[in-house]
Amino acid sequence: MSRVGIALLGERPRSSRTAREGATSREVVLSVVEVLLATAIATGVVAALQSDAPPAGLGAIYLLAVLAIAIRRGELAALATAVLGVLTLNYLFIAPRHQFAIAHTQDVIELVVFLIAAIVVGRLAAAGRQRAAEAESRARIAAAREREATLLAEAASAILAGRSLQAQLDSIGARVADATGATRARVAVESVPSPRDAELAFRLVANARVWLYISDDATWDEREIERIAEPLGRLIDVAVERQRVAEQAAETEAARRAETARTAILHAISHDLRSPLTAITTAASALRAAAITDEERVELIDVIDGQGLRLAKLVDDLLDLGKIQADAVLPRSDWCDLSDVVASAAAHLGADHQIEFALPVDLPLVRADATQLERVFSNLLENAIKFSPDHSPVRVSGGSSPSRVTIRVTDHGRGIPTQHRAHVFEPFFRGRGDSGSGSGLGLAICRGFVEANGGRILLQAGTDGGTSFAVSFPIAHQPAPAPR
Amino acid sequence: MSATAPRNAAPRVLVVDDEPQIVRGLKIILRDAGYAVESAETKAQALALLGSRPPDALVLDLVLPDGEGVEVCQEVRRFSGLPILVLSAIGDEREKVRALDAGADDYVTKPFGTDELLARLRAVMRRSGDPGGGSQVTVGDLVIDVLDRRVLRGGEEVHLTPIEFDLIRVLAQHRGRLVTHRQLLNEVWGPEYAQETHYLRVHVAHIRAKLELDPSRPQYLITEPGVGYRLRDSGD
Repeated sequence: MSRVGIALLGERPRSSRTAREGATSREVVLSVVEVLLATAIATGVVAALQSDAPPAGLGAIYLLAVLAIAIRRGELAALATAVLGVLTLNYLFIAPRHQFAIAHTQDVIELVVFLIAAIVVGRLAAAGRQRAAEAESRARIAAAREREATLLAEAASAILAGRSLQAQLDSIGARVADATGATRARVAVESVPSPRDAELAFRLVANARVWLYISDDATWDEREIERIAEPLGRLIDVAVERQRVAEQAAETEAARRAETARTAILHAISHDLRSPLTAITTAASALRAAAITDEERVELIDVIDGQGLRLAKLVDDLLDLGKIQADAVLPRSDWCDLSDVVASAAAHLGADHQIEFALPVDLPLVRADATQLERVFSNLLENAIKFSPDHSPVRVSGGSSPSRVTIRVTDHGRGIPTQHRAHVFEPFFRGRGDSGSGSGLGLAICRGFVEANGGRILLQAGTDGGTSFAVSFPIAHQPAPAPR
Repeated sequence: MSATAPRNAAPRVLVVDDEPQIVRGLKIILRDAGYAVESAETKAQALALLGSRPPDALVLDLVLPDGEGVEVCQEVRRFSGLPILVLSAIGDEREKVRALDAGADDYVTKPFGTDELLARLRAVMRRSGDPGGGSQVTVGDLVIDVLDRRVLRGGEEVHLTPIEFDLIRVLAQHRGRLVTHRQLLNEVWGPEYAQETHYLRVHVAHIRAKLELDPSRPQYLITEPGVGYRLRDSGD
């Protein structure tokens, strides 16, 4: 009990102590009444029989009364009955009657024999009664221990089975209520106990702030509940510790993943910056070689040109991404016709791949930064063209609902594998296995610009295996039409 | 650059890199230095070429579209001691150590200088042929005699402890090439000491105090931070 304090809170039935005392005194009164009654009955029987039998022999009737009281009320009551019986017998039936004197020596001997017999019978009967009572109480204790053990075993399996700590505690509470016959019981981890109405609070573990609340209609008495408090507390201690370790492991794992992701991004940047740089410096060195054909010279200069542009594009993309991640994209919002923006993006791309436009003529205007949106659509179109089979046109479609305007850029390429779809907007993610070309930043930048302008970008799997990106913006309150 | 042109047939180098723009320049540089060059873009292509027409050296990028350069190293080491020079754009020492421990002989970080690339390639290729002048290795005014277990500096014998001599011997046998911490610990102390890099710090400092003119600016025993050490090549 040293570690587990039992706090009694809430309104305990205050009468419990006085009730026990009351019960004891009521028992005493009942005993007295029974003793008197038994003596009276015996006296009545003796009075009825006295004409037929010698008075002293009738003492055996009183012996029956003593036996009955010994069995029912124990040794002390039996002794009282014996003494009372002797006095009554002497007073009422032994000469001289109606006084506590005895005329014949023989009667004295008989009375003494009767008294001794009464005491012996009383003692034997009382001892038997007590043994029976002890056996009964041992059986009761054994049953109580069994109930406690069952409850603890159930609590342990609740801890093993529960997914979360709360689920484990709820399950333990339910089992405690079941076992103790209470309407409800609950276990809570809290530093300050908060019993509800008609609940008793028991502190289970001093250091882990675990409390057991049981409604006060439990059939178990308080001592029984106290007895399970310590082992139950230890079990819950284990559960709490287990959860703490699990949380710690989860945190460590999250930190490790974040670290891995950061390292991967650094590697990607390093790789993507160094590759074009290497191509440029290598080509420059090669140009210095002694034996080199004109054709090779042109090739090398092309490499330097192309890789220089690639590097410049990557640096632009990195700067944009940096801005997006620092929340420093400041869109200059103005009325913006999305069909116009897409058309301009396609024109600037200058690709000879066919682009099909299927846009309604009266798309509502949106409020956005047209320059940033042009970057978005030019990235999307560039991607779509890159992953389209030759002669398979890229399709630009669109439409509006009462609340949004949407533009879709769709290609009929090989599509993005399902397991990669959640990651396509992450920087340096290359879902379609193009390790060489592209910075891996295009879609991350698209999402950054679209979201900075209040829009949404979604990847939708094409119905026939291709890929479709949907960019949508909320419809703003449209401006008044220009005067004619 | 053309001074290293081979005596008989040109040594053949296989360049494995998936960036055609880099390979284009590299081929011209290597050809100009006297090598016959072939190239592969993927791990599969590289392994096929290595099997059908084994080259004299391999120049290998660590990031390939269908796998890692490290895997190519491991595969090659199962059947040959072919010199491998790793080209790595990754600035991460761990990746380099992984490649070296998987069997690569040295590495050059992208972007690299042409002279550095060619010097490293010469050093890794020398191993397979001439180990470097019999039992003696000469670097600057140092002469390391592997058989007699003696080191001379400017003609005078320098006293080294047995451990110090073993360290300098391993570096001399790989001279000009990078030897990883693990490799050094393995050869001098044994495999169970492969993690005890602090041994190296102490002993290398002692060796430098005895061999270097200015131990704080070593000329012979060069540190490759986080990876290992190399003994300067006489040709460097």
